[in-house]
Amino acid sequence: MAHRPSPTRTEPQVKFVGYLAEFDDPHRLVAACDQVRQAGYRQIDAHTPFPVHGIDPALGIRRTRLPFIVLAVGLGALAVGILLQWYANATDDIRPFPGYKFLISGKPTWSLPANIPVAFEITVLFSAFATFFGMWGLNKLPQFSNPLFRIPRFKRATSDRFFLMISADDPIFDATQTRQQLERFGALNVERVDHDQSDAELPRFLKPLAWCLASIAILIPTAVYRSQAMTNEAPRLHFNPDMDWQDKSKPQTVSPALAGAEGSTLFADGRVMRPDVPGTVALGELRLSDPLFRGYEQGTAVEPGATDEEGNPLEPEWVTAFPSDVDDAGDPVLEVNEAMMARGQRQYGIYCAPCHGYAGYGDGLVSRRGLDLTVQGLAAWNQAKSLHDPMVVDQAVGKIFDTISNGRNTMGPYRSQITVEDRWAIVLYVKALQATQERTAAATAPAN
Amino acid sequence: MASTVDQLIDNSIEDPARRAPLVTGGLDYAGVTDVVSQVAESPKPPRIWYILLGISLLLLAMLGANIGHLIFTGVGVWGNRSPVFWGWPIVNFVFWVGIGHAGTLISAILFLFRQNWRTSINRAAEAMTIFAVVCALLFPGIHIGRVWAAYWLFPIPTEHLAMWPNFRSPLLWDVFAVSTYGTVSALFWFMGMVPDIATFRDRAKDPVRRFVYGLLSLGWTGSARAWHRYEVAYVILAALATPLVLSVHTIVSFDFAVSMLPGWHTTIFPPYFVAGAIFSGFAMVVTLLVPARELFGLKHLITIRHLENMNKVIVATGTMVGFAYGIEFFIAWYGGNANEGETFLNRAFGEYYWAYWTMVSCNVIAPQFFWFKKIRTNPWLMVIVCIFVNIGMWFERFVITVTSLARDFIPSSWGYFSPTPVDVMMLIGSFGLFFTLFLLFCRFLPVVAISEVKAVMPTGEHGEGESH
Amino acid sequence: MSTPARNTPSSERLTLGPLRAPLMFGGLGVGIVGLASAYFLAGDLRSFLSAYLVAFCFIVTISLGGLFWVTIMHLTRAGWGVCVRRLAEILAMATFPCLILFLPILLPVMTGSSASIYDWVDLKNLPERLQGFGDLLAHKEPFLNGPFFAIRALVYFAVWGGCAAFFLRGSRSQDESGDKSISLRMQAFSAPAMLLFAATLVFASFDWGMSLEPIFFSTIYPVYWFAGAAMSSICTMTLISFLLQRSGRLTDDITTEHYHDLGKLMFGFVFFWGYIAFSQYLLIWYANLPEETFWFEYRQQGGWATGSIILIVVHLALPFLAIMPRTLRRNKAYMAMAAIFLLGAHWYDHFWLIMPTTFRPTFGVTPADILCLVGVIGFYASAFALIAGDRKLIPAGDPRLYESLSYHNA
Repeated sequence: MAHRPSPTRTEPQVKFVGYLAEFDDPHRLVAACDQVRQAGYRQIDAHTPFPVHGIDPALGIRRTRLPFIVLAVGLGALAVGILLQWYANATDDIRPFPGYKFLISGKPTWSLPANIPVAFEITVLFSAFATFFGMWGLNKLPQFSNPLFRIPRFKRATSDRFFLMISADDPIFDATQTRQQLERFGALNVERVDHDQSDAELPRFLKPLAWCLASIAILIPTAVYRSQAMTNEAPRLHFNPDMDWQDKSKPQTVSPALAGAEGSTLFADGRVMRPDVPGTVALGELRLSDPLFRGYEQGTAVEPGATDEEGNPLEPEWVTAFPSDVDDAGDPVLEVNEAMMARGQRQYGIYCAPCHGYAGYGDGLVSRRGLDLTVQGLAAWNQAKSLHDPMVVDQAVGKIFDTISNGRNTMGPYRSQITVEDRWAIVLYVKALQATQERTAAATAPAN
Repeated sequence: MASTVDQLIDNSIEDPARRAPLVTGGLDYAGVTDVVSQVAESPKPPRIWYILLGISLLLLAMLGANIGHLIFTGVGVWGNRSPVFWGWPIVNFVFWVGIGHAGTLISAILFLFRQNWRTSINRAAEAMTIFAVVCALLFPGIHIGRVWAAYWLFPIPTEHLAMWPNFRSPLLWDVFAVSTYGTVSALFWFMGMVPDIATFRDRAKDPVRRFVYGLLSLGWTGSARAWHRYEVAYVILAALATPLVLSVHTIVSFDFAVSMLPGWHTTIFPPYFVAGAIFSGFAMVVTLLVPARELFGLKHLITIRHLENMNKVIVATGTMVGFAYGIEFFIAWYGGNANEGETFLNRAFGEYYWAYWTMVSCNVIAPQFFWFKKIRTNPWLMVIVCIFVNIGMWFERFVITVTSLARDFIPSSWGYFSPTPVDVMMLIGSFGLFFTLFLLFCRFLPVVAISEVKAVMPTGEHGEGESH
Repeated sequence: MSTPARNTPSSERLTLGPLRAPLMFGGLGVGIVGLASAYFLAGDLRSFLSAYLVAFCFIVTISLGGLFWVTIMHLTRAGWGVCVRRLAEILAMATFPCLILFLPILLPVMTGSSASIYDWVDLKNLPERLQGFGDLLAHKEPFLNGPFFAIRALVYFAVWGGCAAFFLRGSRSQDESGDKSISLRMQAFSAPAMLLFAATLVFASFDWGMSLEPIFFSTIYPVYWFAGAAMSSICTMTLISFLLQRSGRLTDDITTEHYHDLGKLMFGFVFFWGYIAFSQYLLIWYANLPEETFWFEYRQQGGWATGSIILIVVHLALPFLAIMPRTLRRNKAYMAMAAIFLLGAHWYDHFWLIMPTTFRPTFGVTPADILCLVGVIGFYASAFALIAGDRKLIPAGDPRLYESLSYHNA
């Protein structure tokens, strides 16, 4: 450490710290420590180039409590490590930072054997931190200013000399007597240690340097944060175009980069796999039952766009009751019960209510917003159908199922988003919804 | 007391009644300080140091260029292709992590077993550990492709993303294990160095050195109270580092062994990987220290006896690894699983036979030369053997990773792995990174743990020789 | 602080002395009575043999651990443990009597008796759980067959007994002569001895433990055995030291420092066992292959799930916490208690390896199990007294004895 006396200081404030006795052999040092302690001194310390064994009892040093600090921190870290993994992988409803609960490789979301390695590592990491920082903390280091550094001879304390220090604060310390005692105990040399208070002053350049570093440390994260929060309309920069637009083949698409490429082993049309043979049915997708999968009686399908003699579109024979197909095990696929109703209500709330409204009057938020925009001339929106319209109320369940599956007028098809069972559940819920509204109308009519 | 009488003591001679001295050449305390300090204090390092540093920096530059190419282009620049998606990068990762293990073994496990001969070599070995972990972390770091999203590997709460790492994945365990390992090793290394940096501080003549070493030594005065806590902290860190070092390569082995792939899924993997790691790490320590002790005049501190002991560890762990190869073969037959048996036959006699037999001859046969005292006490012969061991251990990881992936369960998805020039340059470049760091360490920091060596010297209170 | 270096033991009594005869004959008596009553309580031969195998594995791993510690001490030129090395040498030597204890297990295998506990003995009468695995077992027949099993067992005992005899005889002749070259010779032999030890331990664990479930395989199984062996022999050395000192032997030569060292190793190997056991479980659990998981499933049905949790508690969690504090490790009586507890855990470990589902469909320890253990321990104590003889219980002529006598833990 470079310490220069500050020129602005008027008068050095010097404090007598104690005596430093020098020895050239660890055994002599330990013997001297023993004697000094027997003489009644307590504020004593030794400075040695390596840990001298046997010096702890000679100086009356008690065992440090560092192990207990480490144990406490370690146990805490173990608990945190296990909780963290439970929180991150086995919960998903704690706000504001929800966990991420997902199934992977068939393991339970909360699987202790798989959590042990990370819990162990976290325990070790924080125990090591506790050991490292605890040791420096208990030793009151770093401390860059120390009156001992003023003594030229003390430089050998880290090489080959052994020092014994008696503090002037010791109750039985006496400036002359203590010195004589130390010499008697075999010290090669005894030095007076003074503490020049100005030593504790920091070098002058440190303050501005610290300010500069601190501002840089704040500036960079601020800039990063700014860039994240900005709404910039310019197209994003592509640092690595190869990664953003990869020449890779995707199934069932024509890859322009690969079509006809030199040395390509792929098909001439640029595809990476052959399209399916017409009429191919994926495993488990045969779906023979018309009532269950399409909502009409078996075999009553009509050609799309077919009309009768008067030009009205032909319709299949819609089923009027919930299909009673059974699965391979002989259990009914659909069971009209409370659970199905609850499911229907939930799915209705997700998929239908935004337009049709929770009560089914065609006044969902999306529909209302669309109408507003239409009034302002910003959009062309047809109000969603009220499900209590007599036309809808009279429809067979199969027809409603068909509407959900394939859409009607401006409503899009939902068959790819909602499973067959859920579509039937929605139908059930829609029917229930209609029934409640009818009854309300009937009940209130006489009063009006 | 400064004695410079150069006594030539051959401390590799056995006498069970007396512990062999660990410091030769008649050095006393001041002598040890001088010998270690002159490495960093000499105004000019040996010319060969500059040459080696130049070569290392060139290789490092090559590594940097390749990493840039990889990041801007994508991981397709590597040879990782279906079905071998784990190619050289993972091989390099496992190789480098393994190298690191010897450092912790020397600094922690040998400390707990009171093997005093560790004191002259532990500092350099710990430094090597940290540099090896740096090299190791590099490969999975760039393997993720989008390096700017690397922080996703850590459990950081994000409101908009609502995503957390998958704690059930062994690859995430790796993140925790290797980063914990790097951190704890660095703490251990730095803590061990503080008293020696204080020595450098007290000897420093020029103000810049005094300032830097003064800052790094944290104001250490060698107070007996500080030494007491320091020693307790040292024991605790050693006790923490011991299971930690076991866990690191164990978890690396889990990357492979939790899968269902023949040749990867076998329960011996954890201890077998750890033994292999120690094996390769010791070989690397010997490879580094033999030239270092010549170059920096440390022959009286890092004696032939130290090197001989390390060579014994190498032959012991090498034989353990050889045993594990044998048991794997036996169980592949005994288990009666056709895929498993086929995989092992394919390793030895299939299209990767060259890699397999390179591995066996370097790992199992080469260290057997250390049964001969002549070879294990000759510095240059032992370096040759150790380089072979390192080559063999790289091939071991190659054999495990690539042969199992190249032969999938279905013959239609079999393939053959070929590395690209980028793969090769990155492996060579990682050695540039490693040697650059090591050469800088040798020049500017205490290469030998001065205070620990003094504590086991015969004039010291504590010990007389290599072990109790 | 530091005691002056001395290289001779200073205890008054260095031999078993008058303890020898009661130990030898009492042990024999306990052994015969214990095993006989266990046989009658067990009912049939097969269930007796399964309980007997648990006790046998318990004893033989202690002996093997003794051999391991002797070899490793020579290999590393260790000075700390010289004071207790003779005990390990005697434990290692006790592998010879273990050969006799092995006969009840070997004979049914040799005769192809249906009472044999190894189901691969008779491929024509496979038990229900192995139905359908005939081809697999036929594939293994070149290894798993009676004569080869017996030959291997003889090789193991020859290797162990040979190594143990070499070390014990060398060490004893050094007692008299104090010849330093004997130490060098033993050190030179310790490296090949270690190789032989490893090779035989691997296959012994496959033969005697793993092949009970002939369709199961796990490459870490020998390491699991080794972890238990190293730990249990350290416990036995601690316990014997304590008992000897209680009865006035070696009073001044085995000090708190040695108990502390043994305690550290005990702690280390408790952790090591946990590490190996966890690695085996995690890998099998994670990969979830039916050809392996059934083995753990056996240990999770019929109350064995509780049994498995008990194993984790008594073999890892409890001892891990109980012998962590340094002050406790320096308490002789406490460490002796810990040693007894861990030896119990070690027996239970083998019980858990051998019994579940195959021999004991529902979890539970029977009096026959305990009597088998008591009987085998009786024989073992007798063998210990026989081997110890009237000779010294400390390697009095070892040139490194002074280090062991004067060492202080930091």
